[in-house]
Amino acid sequence: MNIKSILDNLLNIPSIDPEDSRRRKLLTILLFGVAVLPLPLIPISLFLGGTTGFTQNEAQITVAIAVTVFIVSIILYGINRYLSGRLSASLFLFFLCVIFVFADAPEELVNGRSLILFTIPIVFSSILLGPASSFVFALLSSIEIAAIAYFADIFPNVPAMVSFFALAVVSWLSGRSLEQALKDLRVVNAELDQRVVERTSELSAALTREIIEAGRREAILNSIADGVVVFDRNGMAILANPSISILINKPQKEIIGRGLNDLLDSSELKAGDRGNVAALLEKSAQDFSNFRVAWGKKTLSVNAADVRDDNDRVIGTVAVFRDFTREAELEQMKNTFVAIVSHELRTPLNAILGYAEMLKEAVYGQINEKQQGVSVRIMTNTQRLLGIVSDLLDQAQIEAGRLKIQMVPCKPAELLDNMRGVMDKIASDKGLSLITELDPSMPSIIIGDPQRLQQIMVNLAGNAVKFSDKGSIYVKVFSYDKKSWRIQTIDSGNGIPEDALGYIFESFRQVEGASTRQHGGVGLGLSIVKQLVELMNGTIAVKTEIGKGSTFTVTLPLVMHEGLTIPLRSRQE
Amino acid sequence: MSELALIIEDDEDLSEIFGQALSAAGFTTEVIRDGLSAQERIKQVVPSVVTLDMHIPHIPGNIILDQIRADKRLANTRVVVTTADAQMGETVRGTADLVLIKPITFTQLRDLTFRLHQWE
Repeated sequence: MNIKSILDNLLNIPSIDPEDSRRRKLLTILLFGVAVLPLPLIPISLFLGGTTGFTQNEAQITVAIAVTVFIVSIILYGINRYLSGRLSASLFLFFLCVIFVFADAPEELVNGRSLILFTIPIVFSSILLGPASSFVFALLSSIEIAAIAYFADIFPNVPAMVSFFALAVVSWLSGRSLEQALKDLRVVNAELDQRVVERTSELSAALTREIIEAGRREAILNSIADGVVVFDRNGMAILANPSISILINKPQKEIIGRGLNDLLDSSELKAGDRGNVAALLEKSAQDFSNFRVAWGKKTLSVNAADVRDDNDRVIGTVAVFRDFTREAELEQMKNTFVAIVSHELRTPLNAILGYAEMLKEAVYGQINEKQQGVSVRIMTNTQRLLGIVSDLLDQAQIEAGRLKIQMVPCKPAELLDNMRGVMDKIASDKGLSLITELDPSMPSIIIGDPQRLQQIMVNLAGNAVKFSDKGSIYVKVFSYDKKSWRIQTIDSGNGIPEDALGYIFESFRQVEGASTRQHGGVGLGLSIVKQLVELMNGTIAVKTEIGKGSTFTVTLPLVMHEGLTIPLRSRQE
Repeated sequence: MSELALIIEDDEDLSEIFGQALSAAGFTTEVIRDGLSAQERIKQVVPSVVTLDMHIPHIPGNIILDQIRADKRLANTRVVVTTADAQMGETVRGTADLVLIKPITFTQLRDLTFRLHQWE
């Protein structure tokens, strides 16, 4: 600490502290001045004492005053510091009043050069004790000079006394205005302080909230098992959670800040899937959402959505990758299981069918009529069981996306004939007549999958026979317009209740009610038809009237010549 | 002596049924149960008809089919693929004379091979 800063510290009078503290500090400065200023008088008096104009006696009095002032100042400082500022200030002012009486010759004090000394307590009191106290000291000073004048036998200096009161008025006014100003300043300062405290606490609360919110968001993002990457409008990854780096086997820092193509090029994706993922993320294409890709050893399901701001402007894309490996494995296992079971069921069923047929055909010798009847029943039931196994296998293949639709030339007339070959006997056994109609508008050769088209016809006709007890079953094939053709079956059954229309095309569903189990089957026929029709880019519709029957209409794209085949929609599952 | 039909089929019952069907169609029949034996046998004989299962032990049916097609001695041999695997059936449709998807009935095989016999 250097001298300047010590002085600054000493002389600085706080304006915002409590009133008492300001007064005490002011008093300390005055005491310091009063104690120090007379000190040089001591060596001067000792040196000049006895010389011309300055008697030895005068010098001794001067030294005594200087020492007294010094000692009193220290005592007053102690009172000011440790007891009371007001008391110390009062004593100090009285002390000044007393000391001034001995400061000069009585003439000089009443009428001369030292009269000015009596103004000092008046001015100081307005600052140290309060504005009104200056009147007390004006009165005191007046009494003092009156008393000095009386004892020195001098005419009292009345104008000086009046001036003391005038000075007291001025001191009172200025002291008051100073105090008012300081008071206002303190109020302003207090308000400012309060405002600073409020703002600080608001800011710190906001900051805490922000940190908690950001932390929460990050915690959510970090704890979800799905991989999340956010791309900005330029396709740059700006955010990636830990799950994504585990899923695609890439550290977060190698994802964030890189472009989409960087991410895909260095990935373990096949070229075809790479294109699909890029298309999905670049366009957020709805058609591609939720599709699965093989990413290294994992199967991932990928979804993307636009990120929009408050004004609904697209500001980026968020991509969510879900680990589908386990599900894909389970699905694969299920399909393999169904396929194996179906194959393993077919072989012994094939044997039963073969042996029954051989018995009936008398390969092992003649059998009687009853035995022949039993053989036929074995054959019929085995065929039915084989049909169910076939349906299960087809369903499994469709679900696995392994069922491919061929596009080869085939004859509608042949398809209808083959269908009759399967269905004629089944219909006549039930007392129904099966009527087929090939409209002349139908081209003689079309492009399609004969096996699957026939399956559609057989399943529809089989369904019609199954649910009709009398009358006829119509199966019509006709060209509907230049671009499509239709297969239509009309039965004379009971019709389908309205609430059942919603689910008759679902797997393993049959119309609930009295007729359910008597028709046999596992409820896959119509479901397979619908799925095959959709694989062929066609549609299926049903119209029904309770008690009168149902009409199923399949509409398929008409492909006339090879080479003009329309592309089949590829299945993404 | 009637013409030879080789029945390459690992299932005992089906080989019996196919054998009976081909006998009924007028062939002399011989049953082979696995791929290795089949490979050896077709080097020694010239069958008119071969019924060939795709899933047989040791060597798959499609390899046997290729071997038959590569052998000039067997240029007139008719190969009837008998399989439960429709997918597999599709892949050999161009190479085989006939593809039958199981279940294959006695009468179906008898009548079809009888027709093949008639064409000879």
